[in-house]
Amino acid sequence: MSAPQAGEGSSTTPDPSTGRLPAQRVPALIITHADLAQALIRAAERVVGTIENVTLLSNEGLSRADLEDAIETCVRDWKDGGLLLTDFWGGSCHTSGAAAARRHGEVVIVTGINLPLLLDYLYNRDRLPVGELAERLREKGRDSIRVQRGVPA
Amino acid sequence: MSWALHRIDDRLIHGQVLVAWGARLNPSRIYVVDDGVAASAWERELFKEAAPGIEVHVAGVAEAAAVHAEEAAAPRAAFLLVRDLDTARRLVEAGARVEEWNVGGLHYAPGKEKVNDYVYLDARDRDAAKALLAAGARLIVQDVPASRPLPLGALDPALTR
Repeated sequence: MSAPQAGEGSSTTPDPSTGRLPAQRVPALIITHADLAQALIRAAERVVGTIENVTLLSNEGLSRADLEDAIETCVRDWKDGGLLLTDFWGGSCHTSGAAAARRHGEVVIVTGINLPLLLDYLYNRDRLPVGELAERLREKGRDSIRVQRGVPA
Repeated sequence: MSWALHRIDDRLIHGQVLVAWGARLNPSRIYVVDDGVAASAWERELFKEAAPGIEVHVAGVAEAAAVHAEEAAAPRAAFLLVRDLDTARRLVEAGARVEEWNVGGLHYAPGKEKVNDYVYLDARDRDAAKALLAAGARLIVQDVPASRPLPLGALDPALTR
């Protein structure tokens, strides 16, 4: 993990086979209670290896105003929007994120982050525009929650 | 039934309120009492959508004081949230009768002194706290139901000096 920087997909050279410009990488800021964001990234790195260009933030000890400022500092440089991934709807990470996001173009919030959702973000962030990616992550996150009942022996 | 929790917390609606206190007290309504939020259309909408399944009212201090007694007699539980001690004081001075305030989160800002991990106060906060105590209210510091409730005056000796 490192500070946000130009992603691999930020080249402006058209793909010679399709003539299309490559999609911009959709940046993400993960905002959670305690150190859940760090733990999620550590867990995701066990699956996919080193992860770059994801910013992490905890609400620990922060007032609403300070959390909003911290989020704004992270998203300020996003030129074409990005994703805020937060732990749950109605929490301070979500509401402060919504407050900071409204000043910065197409910043979309997806709440209820889980490991399958995070992994799907990593595999699709260079491919899909932010709005489409957010909708996809909602479906992937939801679909990952299943119930397996014990089968009688 | 109605008033189940009057809480002073700079985050207003957030996880501890919705999940921990919500599970314990099962509110049907949450009043966010804040002149700034009430004056901002998008902030009102943000908070109204923040608690699925719970009716959220956003009101300024004067409006909340005017409906406070009527709400006290309403069926099912309600929460009232303010962001700081001064708003609590102004609500009481405007006529709301509140016996106990839960002090749930007043976070660090420049010029504030630490009382515990989630309560920091400055002179203005202490003036408001003293006024609330003088009016007969209890100020109970407790972030979540599982933690031990303590009177603010016991944690902050400056209040009783």
